[in-house]
Amino acid sequence: MELTPAQQLAMHKSMVRIRLFEEAAGKLMETGQMPGFLHLYVGQEAVAVGVCEALRVDDYITSTHRGHGHLVAKGGDLAKMMAELMGKATGYCGGKGGSMHINDLSLGMLGANGIVGAGVPIAVGAGFRNKYLGSDQVAVAFFGDASTNIGAFHEAANMACALHLPVVFVCEHNMYGEYTPTEKAMAIADVVDRAAGYGMPGVIVDGMDVLAVHEATLEAVARARRGEGPALVEAKTYRFYNHHGIQTLGVKYRPDAEVIAWKERDPIFTFEDRLVEGGVASRDQIEEQWAQVRADIAAAIEFAENSPYPEPSALLAGVYTAGGAK
Amino acid sequence: MSDRTLTYGQAFSEAIRLEMEADPNVFIAGEDVGAHGGVFHTFDGVQSEFGERRAVDTPISEQAIIGLGVGAAVTGLRPIVDLMFMDFSLVAADQIVNQAAKLKYMFGGEAKLPMVITTHGGAGLSAAAQHSQSLEALFCHIPGLQVVFPSNAYDVKGLMASAILEDNPVLFVLHKRMLGLKGPVPEGRYTVPLGQAMVTREGSDVTVVSWGRTHNEALAAAETLAGEGVQVEVIDLRTLSPLDTATVVASVKKTNRVVVAHEAVRFGGFGAEVAAQIQEEAFDYLDAPVGRVGAPFSPVPFTPALENLYVPDAARIAESVRAALARPLLG
Amino acid sequence: MGSVGIIVNPWAGKDVRRLHAPVGHTPDTAKIGIVRRVILGALDVGAERVHVARDVGRIAERAAKAIDRAVLVDGPGTGSALDTRRAAAQMAELGCAAVAVLGGDGTSRDVTMGWRDAPIIPISTGTNNVFPGFVDGSSAGTAAGLVASGAVALADAGRRAKLLTADIALPGGDRIQDIALVDMALIAEQGTGARAVVRSDLIRLVVAALAVPASTGLSAIAGRTSPVAADEEGGVVVRLGGEGRRVRVPIVPGSFDVLPIASIDRLADGGSITVEGPGVLAYDGERDRVLPAGSTATITVARTGPFVIDVARTLRAAADHHLFDVAPGDSTAATRTEAHHGH
Ligand SMILES: Cc1ncc(C[n+]2csc(CCOP(=O)(O)OP(=O)(O)O)c2C)c(N)n1
Ligand SMILES: [Mg+2]
Repeated sequence: MELTPAQQLAMHKSMVRIRLFEEAAGKLMETGQMPGFLHLYVGQEAVAVGVCEALRVDDYITSTHRGHGHLVAKGGDLAKMMAELMGKATGYCGGKGGSMHINDLSLGMLGANGIVGAGVPIAVGAGFRNKYLGSDQVAVAFFGDASTNIGAFHEAANMACALHLPVVFVCEHNMYGEYTPTEKAMAIADVVDRAAGYGMPGVIVDGMDVLAVHEATLEAVARARRGEGPALVEAKTYRFYNHHGIQTLGVKYRPDAEVIAWKERDPIFTFEDRLVEGGVASRDQIEEQWAQVRADIAAAIEFAENSPYPEPSALLAGVYTAGGAK
Repeated sequence: MSDRTLTYGQAFSEAIRLEMEADPNVFIAGEDVGAHGGVFHTFDGVQSEFGERRAVDTPISEQAIIGLGVGAAVTGLRPIVDLMFMDFSLVAADQIVNQAAKLKYMFGGEAKLPMVITTHGGAGLSAAAQHSQSLEALFCHIPGLQVVFPSNAYDVKGLMASAILEDNPVLFVLHKRMLGLKGPVPEGRYTVPLGQAMVTREGSDVTVVSWGRTHNEALAAAETLAGEGVQVEVIDLRTLSPLDTATVVASVKKTNRVVVAHEAVRFGGFGAEVAAQIQEEAFDYLDAPVGRVGAPFSPVPFTPALENLYVPDAARIAESVRAALARPLLG
Repeated sequence: MGSVGIIVNPWAGKDVRRLHAPVGHTPDTAKIGIVRRVILGALDVGAERVHVARDVGRIAERAAKAIDRAVLVDGPGTGSALDTRRAAAQMAELGCAAVAVLGGDGTSRDVTMGWRDAPIIPISTGTNNVFPGFVDGSSAGTAAGLVASGAVALADAGRRAKLLTADIALPGGDRIQDIALVDMALIAEQGTGARAVVRSDLIRLVVAALAVPASTGLSAIAGRTSPVAADEEGGVVVRLGGEGRRVRVPIVPGSFDVLPIASIDRLADGGSITVEGPGVLAYDGERDRVLPAGSTATITVARTGPFVIDVARTLRAAADHHLFDVAPGDSTAATRTEAHHGH
């Protein structure tokens, strides 16, 4: 539970990696160099990092349409991510998946997802596998607040509890689903009120505080590893940009004042203040981390830009596992 | 025809607004269709004109959205329920296929289900495998559903009006890549009947049957082929189910050659049904096998480099037409 | 006639403790019910108006629905303690004669920070609280209403609580003052993390104004060794460590740790003790303030806290004075006080 200064700096760096990766991707999209939809994770970095820091490499996660942050936090390769977002052959999915299907099976990251709620039952399956094999690995399902209104979430939550599986449900409550305030889409304010209905503990944490998220998840994961069943962690957070793309202010569905107030609680900057106040790191060390990540991002973009698009022959490859029965 | 033009998307919302004005029991419900006017803005202005009671923003709950339509329709309202992307219809598949489509029949024909399920299909936006599909064949396979897939603004408005006035469930598909396409659209209410195909270009050498965005590619192909001295007759099915076989067969009897083109995966696509109908009704008139153009047998790829190869276009249709014209091979 | 205020901490009973201990979850429905009963109870005995502070959980909004004389008070809506503090200050400005506070120890502390002299009825909606108790909403509302309407004088309704004050001197020369209502503790951790104190081996010292044996948490360390009740003056300082006396204490509900006690000292009313960083200061059971190396905190106990309205005592006073009786021929009393559905 006691995080070493090195661990805390690693968490900081991971958050900065997400921030700068997303901002770079957003700019590339704006200038027409990146195709498709881009749901940016900026503002929510403390959740992915706080959670993934509580996991082992061999634990599984499932993600959402807003999935880049989860992959970065699980240890994803920025160059392969950037190449995928640009549709290049060297990307994580060979250019076939893009932002919404980015994944890294070797890191236990079972994919972003284009279908709201669909990753949640898949995490239950991974949790089932862990229990079935007698492993102490856990599975974490990330999902948004508005995703808890879809049947898949409810079926998955109930099944994980009924079968007593090592699954941790992580809800990123950013108060909106696309352009609809979640308070208009559900009559309760907190997703944890749903957890009780399935028979699992549910806890609210400050999703702008990486240490708080980490500590709560650590305990939820420890319970799951010990065979004590699922739990739900609800992180109250905020997306700084629009549902997709990089517009921040001036959208009609959420007040600018609200956006500004949340930005004042920036999860990276507030963490930096604490690192400095607590004597864990100096401002110079923090600046150095930003500089390193900036260089990593520049290298990732260069790698992606210099990578080829997939060959036409790639189109039909990968529909089935090679060697399987036809 | 009117010289006023609207986009494909505007024609859609105009039809909805006019029918909502005419009938207080018509309402819309779906994700972000109200305050936001739909993520593709195809419901723009509906909530500002009719208020939150008749333009309902729902939770992200596709199954319940369609269920809401079924329940409201069978009890006397005329719902228009939206599934943002056609891919999400699969999340609601039970309510569409097992409930909406079958209720009337299972109830001995007594129930009336005046509901329209609207959705946005098709590829071309680098939206990848779960946001780009053309799944119309799945729903055409289901007795009890009617499936509409228009190719231009005029038809969008007229067909949508018919769909709303229809007493049975209609799945109404808009192609996302055509939303900004402009065309002449008269003001005021009018209908285009469901179940009627339209010959959109007359020709004598070969028929191309198509719908949706691919129909417009077929027109482009016809133009190219005209330059090669080939007169292509183009048919826009507009409604896929019920299928207007008569119009297709009449054309094939005239041209003796036919290509069916669609954006969906070719294997098991709705083109296969059209081809089968043609050979059943007009086998003796055919000088060549029925040509089929469709997407390759893979999910829709993300990268434009592959998506551009994947989506059937005018060139591929023209190629298939030339192959049909090259028959018989011996002789 | 005066008005009543209500402040709700929407996230009480939903924090990380549920992962560490077998404690339940307090859903919004329970809180909405309490708030609504407080409103109706207060109006029934003559409160003129009930001001309910809006909260990010929309509990106030849902509870006050369709009650004409329940007025929502807007706040910053940050979802943090700031909302509670701001609401308390607003209740002071609105001249509320009694404020029902739903939450835990920390919620009452936040109200005190916003309004030092707040006349409060603390109602527990959380886990292992010492300051607020489990109070029925209708009775709490009645007590608040009796005070607000002037039927029971404030002096007869309760008394002022004790307050712990920490005067912190940071190495750079900056000074900060913090307060607590139950206890202040020095924890050998670096950060505030998820705030709850769950590791007993890291507790170095506890200063308790309320040392309650029948409680769970930091106060219980002092409570099980040297109890100090709410109506006793002063507090107690317990230092942990050493090889001497050992006691069993439930730091987390349901788990009973053995803690080494190094020393126990009574702290007289107005007395103080100074502790040194590094460490984290926990206030009322939650890690709150990082105390860097080289800083000191001087902790004082005195009866300078908020005024606590004792529900049982207030209702007893009202009963003794026949305040619940209906005058013969009073036709307005023939009906029940219920929500007015004003739509
Ligand atoms: C089944 C399904 N319905 C609708 C959508 C369209 N959609 C994509 S993201 C989204 C909002 C999700 O909100 P939330 O779960 O709160 O996540 P957030 O975007 O806020 O991170 C919606 C409606 C979808 N992708 N899948
Ligand atoms: Mg959300």
